[in-house]
Amino acid sequence: MPTQEQNQKFIVPIGPQHPALKEPGHFEFTVDGEIVTAASVRLGYVHRGIEKGTEDRTWTQNVYLLERICGICSHVHVTAYVVAVEQLAKVQAPPRAEAIRTIVAELERIHSHMLWLGVAAHEGGFDSLFMYSWRDRETVMDILETISGNRVHYSANILGGVKFDIDDQKRDFILKGLEFLEERTNHYMKIVTTDETFLGRTRNIGTMTKEQAIELGAVGPTARASGVTIDIRDSAPYSAYKTFPVNVITDETGDLLARFVVRIKELLESYRLIREILDHMPEGELAARIPRRIPAGETIHRVEAPRGELFYYVKSGGGDKPERIKVRTPSLCNWSSVINFAVGHKLADMPMILAGIDPCFSCNDRLIKIRRANQSQVWTWEDLRLHGIEYYR
Amino acid sequence: MNLPLPSIILLLFFPGGLFLIASGLVYQWADRKLVARFQNRIGPRWFQPLADVFKLLAKEEIVPTGAIKGLFHGLPIVALASALTAALYVPLAGFNASYSFQGDLIVVFYLLSVLTICIGLAGANNISRFSIIGATRTLTQIFSYEAPFLLALLGPAIAAGSWSISKINIYAQENVWLILAQPIGFVVALIGLMGKLELPPFDAPEAETEIVAGALTEYSGRGLALFRIGKDVELVIGLTLISALYLGGLANPLDFLWKTVVLLLVTAGLQALFARLRIDQTVGMWWRVGALLGLLQLLAIILGRLIGPLF
Amino acid sequence: MDLDKVLLEGENLLQPWTVSTSRPEENRSDVVVARENLHAAVEAIKDAGWGYLTAITGLDCPAPAVAEGEPAPEGNLELLYHFCNGLAVVTLRVSLPYGDPTLPSVCDLLPYATLYERELIELFGVRIQNTPDTSRLVLPDDWPDGIYPLRKAFTGFAAPATEEKE
Repeated sequence: MPTQEQNQKFIVPIGPQHPALKEPGHFEFTVDGEIVTAASVRLGYVHRGIEKGTEDRTWTQNVYLLERICGICSHVHVTAYVVAVEQLAKVQAPPRAEAIRTIVAELERIHSHMLWLGVAAHEGGFDSLFMYSWRDRETVMDILETISGNRVHYSANILGGVKFDIDDQKRDFILKGLEFLEERTNHYMKIVTTDETFLGRTRNIGTMTKEQAIELGAVGPTARASGVTIDIRDSAPYSAYKTFPVNVITDETGDLLARFVVRIKELLESYRLIREILDHMPEGELAARIPRRIPAGETIHRVEAPRGELFYYVKSGGGDKPERIKVRTPSLCNWSSVINFAVGHKLADMPMILAGIDPCFSCNDRLIKIRRANQSQVWTWEDLRLHGIEYYR
Repeated sequence: MNLPLPSIILLLFFPGGLFLIASGLVYQWADRKLVARFQNRIGPRWFQPLADVFKLLAKEEIVPTGAIKGLFHGLPIVALASALTAALYVPLAGFNASYSFQGDLIVVFYLLSVLTICIGLAGANNISRFSIIGATRTLTQIFSYEAPFLLALLGPAIAAGSWSISKINIYAQENVWLILAQPIGFVVALIGLMGKLELPPFDAPEAETEIVAGALTEYSGRGLALFRIGKDVELVIGLTLISALYLGGLANPLDFLWKTVVLLLVTAGLQALFARLRIDQTVGMWWRVGALLGLLQLLAIILGRLIGPLF
Repeated sequence: MDLDKVLLEGENLLQPWTVSTSRPEENRSDVVVARENLHAAVEAIKDAGWGYLTAITGLDCPAPAVAEGEPAPEGNLELLYHFCNGLAVVTLRVSLPYGDPTLPSVCDLLPYATLYERELIELFGVRIQNTPDTSRLVLPDDWPDGIYPLRKAFTGFAAPATEEKE
């Protein structure tokens, strides 16, 4: 093995193609035996240039583009964008629309947290939990499909309101699903906090203190597991969260176990919130009218995505297209925390620590215009489009 | 039951060779299917393991740069051969062992270890980082479970007063089931078998989320197929051995079938029940708990033999 | 918490370096600072524990088109450092001319800003001094130097032109 002996460092690459990460990111862990001594990250394998792309599209077209930033938190991206545009246009969405937005956002949080629960368990080699939590996740997917017609990109939002109503029949369907999910969630809580082999993989692993969490700029459940009370739904309430406040879930220990506990408790909190909103659904219109040209100005809107704070900056030049849209996704904030607290842990813990922040690669990779190399020729977006039309003709 | 067959048939077709491979594939399927059902999945069709083997045999075998060619091709063959050889000394399918001599228990035990060592060497033979880490873990793990596992097999041997598997088998049929007399030994043996086969929760050497496929990452095609068959064969032999020793011996094929299937059910349940242990946790567990329990059982047997005749 | 009071507190912290202040929305305050004062301003906010840096937005403001013959004014890059404290958002605005887009790093104060700064370096061509890591974060390895995709001037690659660059 001459290669290893020559360079003293033994680097284990994880990604961009690796069974631990189903999404393309690249990590390099320098290991000494089983202990990790250094870590680095490289992103950008699936850049799509969405921020640049928004500048070429009208306000309405961007609703659909931004929904496709992420396949998991699709709704919350659009909510952030739509509310920001409404702020610019000085339009207030009707209360019923805001309630529906919030219900869909919470359902999305349930679906995202359950997905995470399964993935994290799988990284720890606990496939039974993975299979069961993903089976139960189908319940919430069914709910979303029933109310919106889609499993992933719900397209609930339009500028000024929402597209569909939640009638009594749908309401009953949601409540029935939540009942089942609540029972299962309590069961998972019990497993995660009592199963000895699983606790051996999560307790005191990847611990991040409150000070470190603040220092490293962690957000979302990752920060809350370390005792940082940061939840945009609570500190800067928007939409229906103004009328229906949430309880911020925090945990003090800051290890992987705490991240599990916080996310599972958030599931329960989401169930409670959805029930409360469904019980007090405001009556009224579903959408307000919004002008095609948005008045010049700039605004900021922040929402709490399943992974943490999502930040949107929208600047309008007064035309029918935005001047600039800046998206700062929660995963980006949490990377620095991973890279920092990976050092000193065992290689076997890496997948779980990585999964612990619930990384979302599509969240990160959204900046660059698409580009394909084909026989040393670089294709522009337009070439690619023409090629696509030609190909499928 | 004795088999009145010529040696060549015993070796190549029944109970060794083909039959063993076939039953290995069936048991692999049963194991996968059971785990799948425990996890609320559908699981593979019955011919899936066979289809896997055919697929792998038909595939191109790529020898990575940096590997020693002879070792790369030779190790899978040695591994499978040793597993198949071990089968000749155990009462497979409820028939008397084809060959038997005083001390074949130890020989079988080491023949089964050869497979694991071959896997470790195969990993270390590569320059792939995943392979090397996997090999390190495989070899670390072998040192952790081997001693308790041997202690657990020693118990029945001492009780029967013989080192021959066939004699222990006959002793087990005539006396009370040893699982009742030596429950700790049985548990250690069963879990030791899971460690030997690198089944969850002892699958750290091939933890896919960390090191892809561990020691066998660089293997494709024929080599991988042989290693996998070797493991399946080891599963069958291990189950046979434990049921012969602890579950009242194997007198006929029916006996063999139901006892091994019950054992398989238990191991599949255990596989579905636990999260993967880290390699340091595995080693710690075996030395702190496994070895201690094994010794305790041995002590109890020796004391029992000393005190027993007094009554 | 009283929104106005929080915003005022933030503005007061930045008082020594403020060029101008405006309140575009009731929960937002825009504070323009000169780039040489940026580091000190961020330090003041950090020491006071006022909120946290949420994001750094880069803006490209090319000069408006002028009639022929007149000298074209130079365009600007604008960097917006958004600090959030509850509902309140204070934005530090720094303006950089195209000719000299250099800026001190704030990573020594806020270590997590490194990813944001790397984004700015790659996508806007801002030159950030003393930032700990300047390796590629999001762009492909073979992306040509000197092309910054989020500047308005970038409208995609023309097929023949890029062949030489590759």
